[in-house]
Order: sequence, then C-alpha cells, then structure tokens
Amino acid sequence: MNENVIEVENLVKYFDGRCVLDGINLKVPRGCIYGLLGRNASGKTTIIRILLGLEPPTRGQTFLLGAESANLSAKVHSRIGYVAEGHNLIQNYTVGRLIKLCKDLSLHWNDKFFEHLTETFRLPMDRRIGQLSIGMRAQLNLSLALAIDPELLILDDPTLGLDTVARRQFLELAIDLIGQQNRTILFSSHILSDVERIADRIGILAGGKLVVDCALEELKNRVKKFRLIFPESAPENLYLTEIVNKEIEGREIAITVTNWNQQKQNMLETFKPSSCTELPMSLEDIFIECTKPDAVPLAHL
Amino acid sequence: MFTLIKREIEDHIAYFLGAAILSSTLVVLSIWAAYNYKDEPPIYSIGLLYSIGLSIPVIVILVIGFPAMGASQMYTDRNRKISAFLSALPVTRGRILVARIITGILAILTVLAPLTITATVLWHLLMPPVPIYPCPIFDMFVTALLMVFACYCLGLLTGWASSKVTPTLAGLALTFVLIPLIMVKGFGLHTAVILVLFIIASLIRIWQKFMSTAL
Repeated sequence: MNENVIEVENLVKYFDGRCVLDGINLKVPRGCIYGLLGRNASGKTTIIRILLGLEPPTRGQTFLLGAESANLSAKVHSRIGYVAEGHNLIQNYTVGRLIKLCKDLSLHWNDKFFEHLTETFRLPMDRRIGQLSIGMRAQLNLSLALAIDPELLILDDPTLGLDTVARRQFLELAIDLIGQQNRTILFSSHILSDVERIADRIGILAGGKLVVDCALEELKNRVKKFRLIFPESAPENLYLTEIVNKEIEGREIAITVTNWNQQKQNMLETFKPSSCTELPMSLEDIFIECTKPDAVPLAHL
Repeated sequence: MFTLIKREIEDHIAYFLGAAILSSTLVVLSIWAAYNYKDEPPIYSIGLLYSIGLSIPVIVILVIGFPAMGASQMYTDRNRKISAFLSALPVTRGRILVARIITGILAILTVLAPLTITATVLWHLLMPPVPIYPCPIFDMFVTALLMVFACYCLGLLTGWASSKVTPTLAGLALTFVLIPLIMVKGFGLHTAVILVLFIIASLIRIWQKFMSTAL
C-alpha cells in the first residue's frame, strides 16, 4: 500500500489580490505523519481548508483519499477526522447535543474509544460549547475527530490553547493512533517540539511556497549551520551553492547550507578560516533559518 | 438527512412555534366565523369582512416571517460556521442545503396545511355546491404555498450574502411585487407558473452560491 492519501498539484490561492499559495505541490503517502510548518498567515490553514473542500482554490487541484477535494462524498468524509484551528464547534450547543449530532451523522462511531476519551478529558456533557475553555474545546474537538477511527486525521494547530498536561495527553493519543496501521496524519502546529516528536515528514511554507518537503531525519542531516572565524575580515562571497542564510559580522560568518558535502568543505577551506564550528540545529533552528525574510528558498530535498 | 432536518428544526424551533400558534389561531377563528355567520348571505356578510380583515395581516406575517426564517437560517450558519463544522463530518454541502429547504417547507406547511384542511372541511360542510368553480381552496393553497416559499427563498439568498442591506431591500421589494401579482392574476395556473419560475431561479442562485462560497 504505497498510494498517496493527500495530493496537491500546482495549488495557487489568492486572497484579495494577494498570493497566499504559489504553486504548491505536495504528496503525503499512506501511513505518514506529515508536519506542516510555517509562520502566521503563511497558508497552512488555507491548504488544509482547500484540501477539505471548505475553500475553493484559485488554480490547481487537491485530492484526499483519491477523491477531488471539491467533490468529497459523505463516504470519503467518514474516513477523515478533522480538528479545525480555533476549534470551530457550534457554540450554542451543549457538549452532549453536539456529540449526539456527530454520532448520528457519522457512518462509523467507536463508542468505547470515545467514552475513554471523554473520561480522560473529563468533558462536561451539560455545558454549552461557548462556556468551555479553549483547552476543553480542543479536547472535545479532538475526541470527536478520533471517535470515527479516521484513516486520515487532519489537525490544524490542535494543541493551541492546551496546557502542558493536555498537550502531552494529546501527543500520546496521536502516537497511539500512529501505532495503528495505515493511519495518516497531516498536522500543522506552531509548537515545533511537538512536530519534532511525532512527525516523520516535514513541509515548511514560506512566501507562499513549500520551501521544504522531506523526511525529518533527512532534513536534519542535510541542513547544516557553521560558524566561521577568519583571521582578518570575513570574505563577502564564499562561492558556495545552496546557502540558505548568511550572516556576516566582522571576522565572523554564520552560514546555513543544504546538501553539505566534501566539495563544499574543500571550497570553504580555501578561504583559510581560523576556526570552523558546526552548530547543532534543532527543527526550530532549521525552521527559523528557512523562514527568514531574506532566506533563499531550499530546493525540495 | 433526517438528522440534519431535525437539527434545523431544533435550531429554529421559534419559527415552528410561531407557525403553529398562527395556524391554530386562524383555524379557531375560521371555525368561529363560519358557524356564527353561516346563515347570512355570503356577500356583504360580517363573516366575509372578518375573513378579508384577517387575511391582510396574515399575508403580511407570512411574507415577512418566512423570509426572516430563511435569512436567519443562512445568517446563523454563516455567523456560527455551522456548515463549516458539518462539512467536516460525513455530510455534503448539498445535503445541508436540501435539509434546510425541506425544513423551510415544513414550517410553511405548519401554517398552511391545517388551514387548508379546515377550510376544505368547512367548505364541504357549510357551503352549497358551486358548479362553476367547485373547489377554490386547492388553488388558493397551491398559490399561497408557492408565494410563501418564493419569499422564503429570497430570505435564504439574503441571509447568505455577506452584504446585508442591498439584498434585504431587493428581497423586500421583490416580496411586495409578489403580493400584487396574486391580486392581479388571481389564484390559478398563471400565477403558479410565474411563481414556480421565480422559485427555480432563486433555488439555482442559492445552490450556486452555497456550493461555491468558502465556509
């Protein structure tokens, strides 16, 4: 089973003449946990909404579970769990009424698992959704999305508003779900440590483009940051290709480079730096480097 | 579909209660008027004056109340992002809209069906058979149903538009064009055809807007 659960082809989206997504191409294979990252207003939620058919694209096509997003049938929807950004639930309903509505509309409902979730999160059935805290709304939304045993789970910043304990519970649930075969998860988050913990593939959106789309380990192995100190002033040009970022300060240069290899190492040594230190990079560091305004877009790794 | 219709009814129960109260009031008044003035000649009778006096506020209530219901259904949906939530469940946008329209028709029938049944029964009990025009009640029912449904469709369109002032004014203007239309053309096939064409055009526009707008 190697088919793609999510496919995005040359997706373009304009809002009021402003280009938010500029030719996005993305494929998420079955069983993958895909972390979609980007700064605020980078288009993460827009991609997710277009995928679910909630937003029409300006150009391009998107597919979920083999069906075109604009024409998703009820049957395809029944295989997708979705947690919306801001936990978009019907505010004037009580928790109990909303659960009943979702249960009645679902083609498949895992009562046992759902009860386990509501007990874990201690959701009050008689309270109105509008009276719940953001954290509780997030927990309810997540429970509703998981109760249908989804083949594909789409989480749009799901841990937003959750406290540390609830976030940990959520991650453990997600890891449980990952343990089940053939489950695919697409999730966007601002908490990069969460993404780093569970994602096995990463996409980074910047300037309307998907500047990174590769396996997490591969990304960490191929993006390197060095601090070079030169005996005199630092050279303006190092003649290296695939530099993502470069900061020069007096005798010191900090460069972030992709696809580091021996050839690049040799080129660097011709400038005879007095020291060359590799700086360890977390996902957060890579994210910051890739989304800096003057960063050079990375080729798909 | 049943769940979606049930949800719409529960969310707009006030309109159904209003429709039921209006309907039962009119049924009681019709029976009372029919029995109290049954011996008077039909023309110039106080019963007829009562009927005309009652029908004007009833028409106004219907042509304002049901567009308000349609607008409220769509506006609440847009404001509370109900369709956005439902669309993430195994429900298509088309089904949400169809359930909404069926709910509107049910609310209209809550007013018109008991009235029509009562009028038919009273007609058969009290009126002498009129060979030229034996049953005006069916024509009246069909025309009233189509007229109120057309107004309701205008309400749906108004409620879904992001700008409220222009569509509301246009909706009200069109609503008040429909009433003289019936006065001029009377009940019957001609009026029904015009109303049906108007309803089809409105429904196509609502469908197109609802299916293509971002939720």
